[in-house]
Amino acid sequence: MVRRSGLISLGTALLAASLFGQGPGRHGGAGPGDFEVVRAEFGGHNKVVEGAPYSAQAVTQFTQTLSTGDHIQRTTNASMARDSQGRTRTERSFGSIGALSAEHGGAPTVMIFDPVASKSYVLDARSHTARSMTIPAARTRPANENARTPRGQANVKTEDLGTQTMQGLSVQGKRVTRAIPAGKEGNEKEIDIVTETWYSPELQAVVMSKTSDPRFGDSVYQLNAITRVEPDPALFTVPADYTVKEARPMMRGGPPPGQ
Amino acid sequence: MNENLELLEALRALAADGPREAPRHVEEQLKTQFRRHSRRRNLAAWTPALSVAVAAGIALLLWIESARPKPAPIPAAVAASVAPALEEEADASFYPLPEAEALPALENAMVVRVHLPVSSLQLMGVPVGEERADASVEADLLLGQDGLARAVRLAQ
Repeated sequence: MVRRSGLISLGTALLAASLFGQGPGRHGGAGPGDFEVVRAEFGGHNKVVEGAPYSAQAVTQFTQTLSTGDHIQRTTNASMARDSQGRTRTERSFGSIGALSAEHGGAPTVMIFDPVASKSYVLDARSHTARSMTIPAARTRPANENARTPRGQANVKTEDLGTQTMQGLSVQGKRVTRAIPAGKEGNEKEIDIVTETWYSPELQAVVMSKTSDPRFGDSVYQLNAITRVEPDPALFTVPADYTVKEARPMMRGGPPPGQ
Repeated sequence: MNENLELLEALRALAADGPREAPRHVEEQLKTQFRRHSRRRNLAAWTPALSVAVAAGIALLLWIESARPKPAPIPAAVAASVAPALEEEADASFYPLPEAEALPALENAMVVRVHLPVSSLQLMGVPVGEERADASVEADLLLGQDGLARAVRLAQ
């Protein structure tokens, strides 16, 4: 009920924004894609994991089955790295977000999160500029925080899937099945939403996860080509030929100045 | 009688001496006092109207604030998948997406500002009326480490 009222409020706000704010859009519409990326950055307090460096390729595959039987498939890739100090670098193309596809394919975006210097950077390879943002004091991540189970929810069943080895790492699995009872959302039959997560305590990261939601689609996230050596420190610094501009994070109220 | 005649003669002599004015400083003081008095009268006349306007303005602001849609708190289903530190950020202004209910917990979040037709949000489970589905908005999407959206908010 809370979710529904929140979404209705969002729907109202969207309608108002579309009526009074932007019309067909200052970019001339999103064109053939579903969206156009304006900019990206780290989202507020990212947790800091020290002493567990790695590099990996992350792949997310999203599949949606339409009522016609047709399928929509999207794949996004990201290069991820973390050093012993907890600094992270993510290079990701926003070609798609779930079922949505980007208008121009989504240029790769490099984001550096540096809790040591309390800074995060977004690198723009085209203009050789880096948007620098000050991040709040970071906190160290408690061990195996990911093993939490959903709180206070009826119709949620959690199963321990035991331990497996994936990508050379020991991973702990769990399956969470969330049931939406018949009639609750106008559904004739019960809907089961299943999430399977494989977590590496050693890496302190999810190595693989699968989600199946009959309402929206299936997604599979996987860390591949994991290497556990210290990444090149240069990956976590702004290249010397980049111009650094201080910006205000989107997460803390509004767009950065001048944008 | 003689006194009257003397006064009359004196006035005629004064008049014959040409036009006379009050000293400059007396004139300035007189003008200043006149303006002050006039201002007080104007203010007194406008005070009731200004009071009504201010009261109406306050009432309008209060009504707008109460009518403004408030961001919904993150429901338990999504809150469970959003790490505690991120909840503080996320519940401030983001609306959780229905499709995020089942996604794994956030390890690292990122915010992507996108420009998109309202209809695109339907693909993420946001109910949108068909009448303005072609309109465009700027929105911030809160993504997890897997690049999948957990929540959305309208850009400021």
